[in-house]
Amino acid sequence: MPDDLPLLPDREDPIVLEELMAASGLAHEEVVELVEFGALAFEQRGTSWLFHSRTLVLARRAARLRDDFGLNTPGMAVALAYLERIERLERRLRELEACLPTNDSTDAGQEPWPA
Amino acid sequence: MKYTDYYATLGVERDASAEDIRKAYRRLARRYHPDISSEDDAEAKFKEVNEAYQVLSDPEQKEAYDQLGRHRSGEEFRPSGDWGGQVWQEGGLEDFDLAELLERLGQRAASQAAGRQAGGREAGGRRRAGAPFSMRGQDYEASATISLEDAARGVEVSLDLSVPEPTADGAVRRVSRTTRVRVPRGVVDGERLRVAGRGGPGYGDGPPGDLYLDIHLQAHPLFRAVSHDLYLEVPITPWEAVLGAEIELPTLDGRVKVAVKPGAKAGQKLRLAGKGLPRRGEGAGDLYGVLQLVTPTVISEKERELYRELAAASSFDPRAPFTPVQTHA
Repeated sequence: MPDDLPLLPDREDPIVLEELMAASGLAHEEVVELVEFGALAFEQRGTSWLFHSRTLVLARRAARLRDDFGLNTPGMAVALAYLERIERLERRLRELEACLPTNDSTDAGQEPWPA
Repeated sequence: MKYTDYYATLGVERDASAEDIRKAYRRLARRYHPDISSEDDAEAKFKEVNEAYQVLSDPEQKEAYDQLGRHRSGEEFRPSGDWGGQVWQEGGLEDFDLAELLERLGQRAASQAAGRQAGGREAGGRRRAGAPFSMRGQDYEASATISLEDAARGVEVSLDLSVPEPTADGAVRRVSRTTRVRVPRGVVDGERLRVAGRGGPGYGDGPPGDLYLDIHLQAHPLFRAVSHDLYLEVPITPWEAVLGAEIELPTLDGRVKVAVKPGAKAGQKLRLAGKGLPRRGEGAGDLYGVLQLVTPTVISEKERELYRELAAASSFDPRAPFTPVQTHA
């Protein structure tokens, strides 16, 4: 049945603040503070704030860190920054690894050539 | 019903104080938290630790749990006495989950019967106490492993979800449900997709939860994907590297001809713009052909002769920097 097949749109609709709060579990003041810290990006459209779905993933992560470790908003902002940095480094590592030959055999026990 | 030793999970004694239990949980959470740990089984470990803490940090659930006595983890048991009678009257125990039963005991108020599933996460986080009962449905989490080709085209995936379902008597049991999702073209490895409103139904006037789908890309025999860029190892011969060559490379949509410039080096990248994975919306990543110099292991006498001739004729010395500098007194 067609109802069983939700379509993910190729282009995403932005998420409004209320939806971001409901889907992440962050409170209004927490979202405001995380935005002030630069941890969550938003777009101003008229009087309302719009968020990308990638930001919702970050907001959920922040709420998890809050619940599981008792972090406050500065703590969440720092943790998000570090996690983002780790992801960037891991991506760079994958890029470099992708440039290495797959069957790079190093001859470990090399003897000196007889003189 | 299977017994789980929550004290052992947290690594504390049975008479540990609430503070000790909290400390043990924090320590293990830091180690296994899925946002922090890179250990393979971190997520499963974290779920166990979390379940243990949910029970042992709630005085009512802890008391009910302690009444069960000591058993070995994984041991089949049937609660007796008051404990059992409070929760069920007859049969079907095998379907129940210890954590779910304890939670029911701990949250007897009807407004809270629809709580956290064992090992899962409640959508929307905290609930406001005292508000009329209305709660957003649970979020479902699933993952799908798809091929590079499917990521480039978009694909329909079938997900098997294990979802909690309230029974007629108010208990909760897990049922499997299959749902299909169309993954749009342009997803990348590690991406988390949200399908709004496709999680569990809301309670009261609450909206349904969302479905979150983690995308994993299967390893491809030729291409390695880094975000939307693809990397392809391109073996070339020493004479192709020296003389240059026109070679044919595979891409996700057919073969293309590219030029290797004379004097090519191993590790050099040939960039084919727009031949990587498509992005959502428009545009695409790039395909990088990474040159690898390969030498033949079996050669004919004729080839050997030509190499000797080349060795004699060439003045090229790649190890010149290794040569000791002559110092004169």
